[in-house]
Amino acid sequence: MIEVESLYFKYPLANDYVLKNISLKIGLGEVVGIMGGNGSGKTTLIKHFNGLLKPTKGFVKVFGKDTRKESVAYFSKKVGLVFQNPGHQIFSDTVWNEVAFALKNFGFEEEIINKRVKWALEFFNLIQYKDMSPLLLSGGEKKRLCLASVLAWNPDFIILDEPTVGQDFLQKEKLIEIIKMLVTQNKTVIVVSHDVEFIWLLQPRLILISNGIIVKDGDCRSVFKDDSVLEKCGITKPQLVELYEELYPLIERPPVDIVEARSMMLKLLRGLK
Amino acid sequence: MFWLAEGLVYRRQESIIHSLDPRVKLIISLSLFLLSLFSSTIFEFIILLSAIFLLGVLSKVLRRMIKTITFSLTFVIMIFAINLLVGYDLIFSIIISLRFIAIISSSSIFFLTSSPDELDLVMRSLHLPYDLIFAFVTAVRFVPVILLDAVQIIDSQRSRGLEIEKGNIFKRIRNYIPVLIPLIVQSIIRSEELAEAMESRAYGFSKKRTSYYTLHFKRKDYFVLCLNLTLVVLFILLIHLFHL
Ligand SMILES: Nc1ncnc2c1ncn2[C@@H]1O[C@H](COP(=O)(O)OP(=O)(O)OP(=O)(O)O)[C@@H](O)[C@H]1O
Ligand SMILES: [Mg+2]
Repeated sequence: MIEVESLYFKYPLANDYVLKNISLKIGLGEVVGIMGGNGSGKTTLIKHFNGLLKPTKGFVKVFGKDTRKESVAYFSKKVGLVFQNPGHQIFSDTVWNEVAFALKNFGFEEEIINKRVKWALEFFNLIQYKDMSPLLLSGGEKKRLCLASVLAWNPDFIILDEPTVGQDFLQKEKLIEIIKMLVTQNKTVIVVSHDVEFIWLLQPRLILISNGIIVKDGDCRSVFKDDSVLEKCGITKPQLVELYEELYPLIERPPVDIVEARSMMLKLLRGLK
Repeated sequence: MFWLAEGLVYRRQESIIHSLDPRVKLIISLSLFLLSLFSSTIFEFIILLSAIFLLGVLSKVLRRMIKTITFSLTFVIMIFAINLLVGYDLIFSIIISLRFIAIISSSSIFFLTSSPDELDLVMRSLHLPYDLIFAFVTAVRFVPVILLDAVQIIDSQRSRGLEIEKGNIFKRIRNYIPVLIPLIVQSIIRSEELAEAMESRAYGFSKKRTSYYTLHFKRKDYFVLCLNLTLVVLFILLIHLFHL
């Protein structure tokens, strides 16, 4: 459980608040999308969830504990952050050690480390590279490696900053599968993204941020109905929502993915015949 | 980490000093720098440091100048301690430390008040080879970028349970490996990208470079230059009188 209460945040030496009066609660087993224009404060917000940044005013509590009271390592064990740029974390001599790094920091036993690293590498189809230098992987593979290195320690919250940048279609589909699987294990996945189509396929609870203020927080279907707020945040609608609005009232709700859209269309066409 | 960048890096600002010709700013900085090198009494350093701080106030960079000094305080203390340990007396150790502070803060005047573009123009007016100028200016320009990288790398590794400040001194040094390697790799990647981007824009194609901006002394530049010269001469005369 992450609780944010009247959070204000200002970077040291800056004049203006980057986050203003943010309050929200995120429980376990949720998928949460965070969207907003460049510089609206998304990355700044998620850095509060494991205590990397501390509120200037207000508080953030993770499982009831104020983030000011414990170390970043303490909270990171429960809240795993995957940053946008793999270049900012990859440093080990081998792919295996890259994944093992965090587990060693958190003080897991040797045997458990080996088991978890093997699992994570197999899960992300990276096991064949285990003795290779991670710097030799392709961009998309590096991104997957970062994800693997966080999932390996099994945190309750997984936060992904722009996970789809530079990923091919197949990897995006796979990512959606992984996120859905994690949720069935009662984990919470928070995704920061500019990719509306990707967000729509996740069908998350969607939080919109503009200029450091939460302007909308609700399930994605209702959020994508609110034209004025979408415009304010500079967000376009997913194509499937556009399709639904075009055809309304012939279909009763926007299809959640292409498979459902197809069956809706077929049904519609049969009805017309 | 960020306060470190604040103390070193140029930021667009307006003040009497900022608006001077960069060559004048360089000469002011340089005169103070040279005077600090050759000064040898506490009294001289009091005058020099007052002048430096006065310039800091006039150019509105005093706060950041003080940050640079606080950052270098570790070195100052080291220099002071080593001098004492080696057997020099207290006064001499204090003078050496003051000299170090004066050198640092006088050179920071130029870098805090002149943009990389101005630095480029100054170096060109000295007729240095352009490749050298380019390398130097790019290095200066990239300091804030690299510091920003460093902050993000530290955030990434802390999120993976790295506790930099934990352990004995050897452990602490080792803790920096996960920060330094990505930092170096990123810098190499960036310089390669820069080189490619420059070549695709025909860097080095024409032998004769022209410049969009050119430097011209204005009346206030001449005035400040004369003032600077007068004060330097006065200072040297004064010191010699005192020594008499
Ligand atoms: N370390 C920092 N120091 C000072 N200001 C910062 C720092 N990091 C970010 N900012 C500023 O805070 C604001 C919010 O930045 P943030 O990175 O949170 O935006 P974002 O929503 O993640 O944007 P993007 O979509 O581009 O990733 C921006 O105006 C940025 O310039
Ligand atoms: Mg961001």
